[in-house]
Amino acid sequence: MSGTVSTFFVLGVLSLVATVPVSAQRVHWPHETPPPALLAPDVEFPDYQLHRLENGLQVVYVGAHEQPAVNLRLLVRAGASSDPTDKSGLAALTAQLLDQGTANLTAQEIAQAIDSIGGGLSVGAGTDLSFVNILVLKDSFEFALAMLSDIARNPAYTEAEIDRQRQQLLSEIQISYDDPAYVSNMVFEKLVYGSHPYGMPHNGTQGSLSHMTRGDLVEFHQRHYLPNNSILAIVGDVTAQEAFDGATRVLEDWPRGDLPTPNLQEPPPPASRLMIVDKPGAVQTAVRVGHLALPRAHPDYLSLDVAIKILGGEGGNRLGSVLRTERSLTYSASAEMSGRQFAGDLMARTDTRSVATAEVLRLTVDEISKMRRERVSGQELRRAKDYLAGNFPLTIETPNAIAAKVLEAILYGLDLDDLETYPERINAVTVNDIQRVARQYLKPGHLSMVLVGDASSFVDDLSGVGFDSYEVIPISELDISAVDFRRTKNAAKGKTLEGKDRRSRYYRLLRTRSLSHSF
Amino acid sequence: MQMVAAITLPAVGLVLLSTTVFSAVRPPKFDYRISTLENGMTVVLSEDHSTPIAHVEVWYRVGSKDEPPGRTGFAHLFEHLMFKGSQNVQSDQHLSFISSVGGDGNAYTTEDATVFFQTVPSQYLPLVFWLEADRMATLRIDQRTLDAEREVVKEERRFRYENEPFGLLSEILYDHAYTTHPYKHTPIGSMVDLEAAAIEDVRAFFETYYVPENATLLVVGDFETDKVLQMVEHYFGRVPKARRPVPREIPREPPQRSEKRITLEADNWPLPTVVVAHHITYDGHPDAYPLHIASKVLSDGQSSRIYRRLVYTEQLAITAFGQGNIIEDPNLFYAVAVVPHGTRPKQAEAALIEELERLKNELITDEELERSKNQFARDYVIGRFTNAQKAAHLAHAAVIHNDITTADGEFDIFINVTKEDVRRVARTYFTDENRLVMTILPHGSGEVGSRSR
Repeated sequence: MSGTVSTFFVLGVLSLVATVPVSAQRVHWPHETPPPALLAPDVEFPDYQLHRLENGLQVVYVGAHEQPAVNLRLLVRAGASSDPTDKSGLAALTAQLLDQGTANLTAQEIAQAIDSIGGGLSVGAGTDLSFVNILVLKDSFEFALAMLSDIARNPAYTEAEIDRQRQQLLSEIQISYDDPAYVSNMVFEKLVYGSHPYGMPHNGTQGSLSHMTRGDLVEFHQRHYLPNNSILAIVGDVTAQEAFDGATRVLEDWPRGDLPTPNLQEPPPPASRLMIVDKPGAVQTAVRVGHLALPRAHPDYLSLDVAIKILGGEGGNRLGSVLRTERSLTYSASAEMSGRQFAGDLMARTDTRSVATAEVLRLTVDEISKMRRERVSGQELRRAKDYLAGNFPLTIETPNAIAAKVLEAILYGLDLDDLETYPERINAVTVNDIQRVARQYLKPGHLSMVLVGDASSFVDDLSGVGFDSYEVIPISELDISAVDFRRTKNAAKGKTLEGKDRRSRYYRLLRTRSLSHSF
Repeated sequence: MQMVAAITLPAVGLVLLSTTVFSAVRPPKFDYRISTLENGMTVVLSEDHSTPIAHVEVWYRVGSKDEPPGRTGFAHLFEHLMFKGSQNVQSDQHLSFISSVGGDGNAYTTEDATVFFQTVPSQYLPLVFWLEADRMATLRIDQRTLDAEREVVKEERRFRYENEPFGLLSEILYDHAYTTHPYKHTPIGSMVDLEAAAIEDVRAFFETYYVPENATLLVVGDFETDKVLQMVEHYFGRVPKARRPVPREIPREPPQRSEKRITLEADNWPLPTVVVAHHITYDGHPDAYPLHIASKVLSDGQSSRIYRRLVYTEQLAITAFGQGNIIEDPNLFYAVAVVPHGTRPKQAEAALIEELERLKNELITDEELERSKNQFARDYVIGRFTNAQKAAHLAHAAVIHNDITTADGEFDIFINVTKEDVRRVARTYFTDENRLVMTILPHGSGEVGSRSR
């Protein structure tokens, strides 16, 4: 990275636009260019250690001795992608019930034990993994190991707890269906992934949850929660010896098992489709545009990721420039790649006032087309690379962040040596690379497009900007598990669920006292 | 499967303690240097060499509570404008500079402060100081820029509050809880007031509040204090002093004399919600600490009182919690429950009020007190992992408390809170006449009204 700010910015600064100084008082302020950088320090990927137990459990250790805390994170390689077709939400429910009772402790006893030592415990599942996360102050390290083992290996899955969780989740269906962000993401994923498990809401639907049985949960747990299917990270104020000895002592008797073989059909090839979910009265439309892309471990992932960042990420963000800076059409516009285990997608997203929806959709699609059609300038690529390479030390600031990168590499089968060479690999990306991956993987003619908002405000504008073909579904009739997305009269109202920590959502309502400048 | 409520579990090694012991673990103290420039700006520097990065924050002591009626949302709008150009920096170029060196930057506005922050690889500290000083001294805004950014802020209001389920909860609650103090409105402000913001307001606001004596600079990261102090002197020392003192006259909220009960319907409201709110004290008052402990007893963790009773055992709520919003001026303690279909809001309301009453009538248990203290120690520890977090802690102490030593000192205050303290503050603040009960319903629910007794 150069030690001085590039000439682009110097020239930009010197050509001042005539604007009015805000301060009325005369300020003697020099006309200046930005100062040069100090000497750049070395950036190295911090130390970590890996160990594998006899039963196949991989253990990652990252020492962190500044704060007297220890964080244990167990990842099990099974998530929504392992849900049977009619049982979406199985991985999620199996995980969410882990801390609601074991063979040894009731749900409230677990809560009591964790809370009384000031610990934190969370469980859950995503598309490709499930997790148990325990944070304690360092003097409770042994307790945390024992608790993690009990929760991961001996969940009770009592009928009472299953019903309790189910009721909670079914209630949340109501709320998620009123959230345009949630609905637009859900419909987008369904369009992109079709009947692949990534296409179903990973917390399930009302239909699938209502039919889930204790037997389903026990079977999922037995099949997937195996030490040779899991990775444990120990991050914190313990020594490597303490970490590995502790993990061995508590988990070595966890019996290994045969790994289930994933049996997944390919997602459908990208096809152009515009789906409008009508929410009358909505003041904004949630806009999601994209298509299938690459799984995380694909060799072209890095280059395509840089291209998408130029389109809508930090260090670039053409979408943000056009939609927010130039035209004030949105508070936030972005694009990102989502690279998962078996497949991936790229998605541009923004939200805009209802009447501007058609214009925003047109501009968004145009930027994707332009990305494919035109070579990026050397300058623009340089800026993106400067950000990504320069940002590297910020992404490994904390021991937990370091562990997260190691876990990601292990989970996706990436080369661990690549962790250290990220800045070099980024800097090696060329304009030709970007052009190649843009041409190969961007398909502006085969986009999945979703608009969730007040259709009456914008639907008549669509053909005027080139979108003649679209479907409109009232939000009250939306059923994500139906082939045509529409609830049939006899089917239960198909609604979907918000996956994340439920309490954090409502805390945010009153806790968030502040407003950020940008996303 | 048989449930065994064991006290010890040799096979697993779990021991359930019948009483808890306060953990001896405590977080390390901050190491910092605080000083004041001649122009009045406060500077706090704290070294951390664990990663070759540095985090810089500038806190301006102005927020939505400084906004007069008719100009709600202005402090936040102004925060946006601070990115729109100064003498040596073009519009939006501040963040471009930051990202061109691999940094991340943003800003936020609260009721009490406006904060501009960025993390950069540590060799770019001079650039950050240069940028922050340039806009502090020479912000340039024209009508066109104001108009364009106003539209962006309106989209933000739509995005965060109007278009989301329950998005307007804070706005509704605070509008009814306050009559006079500017906490009556929220930082985003109203659409009408955003429309009314004028270019003259921008100049007046800048000259009044964006002055060195109203600013605190924090730097946490990989640097040497002496060298950085010199740099800070160079870049910020030349920002001229304020011409007049910063006004601090905020209208006080008169005490509430009788209970208020309001039922209303709101947009984007999927399920009935009950809020029981009481006016409390400010951040730094001795009563604040037992109130924080009360928050933990009520809703930190799944063994907490409100969670256990309303969500787990009686299933009166999908989500429920009770906490104090303890900020610069006296704000609220609120207990909230979102009620599922099939449950009457009145049941949840009664349960929430009972839980608040319990804190007045009985002492919390020794176990609950120790648990809360251990949870507090945990919060302290996990709230200090990153440079940004450390900077925010130090800033909060320096700016809101006006006493940077509280960044570490508060820990000891919390450790010494007693069960009697918790009961005392409950009796002081959770009174009938100081209570607001709001029931917010989806449209079409039929029951609307308000009553003051």
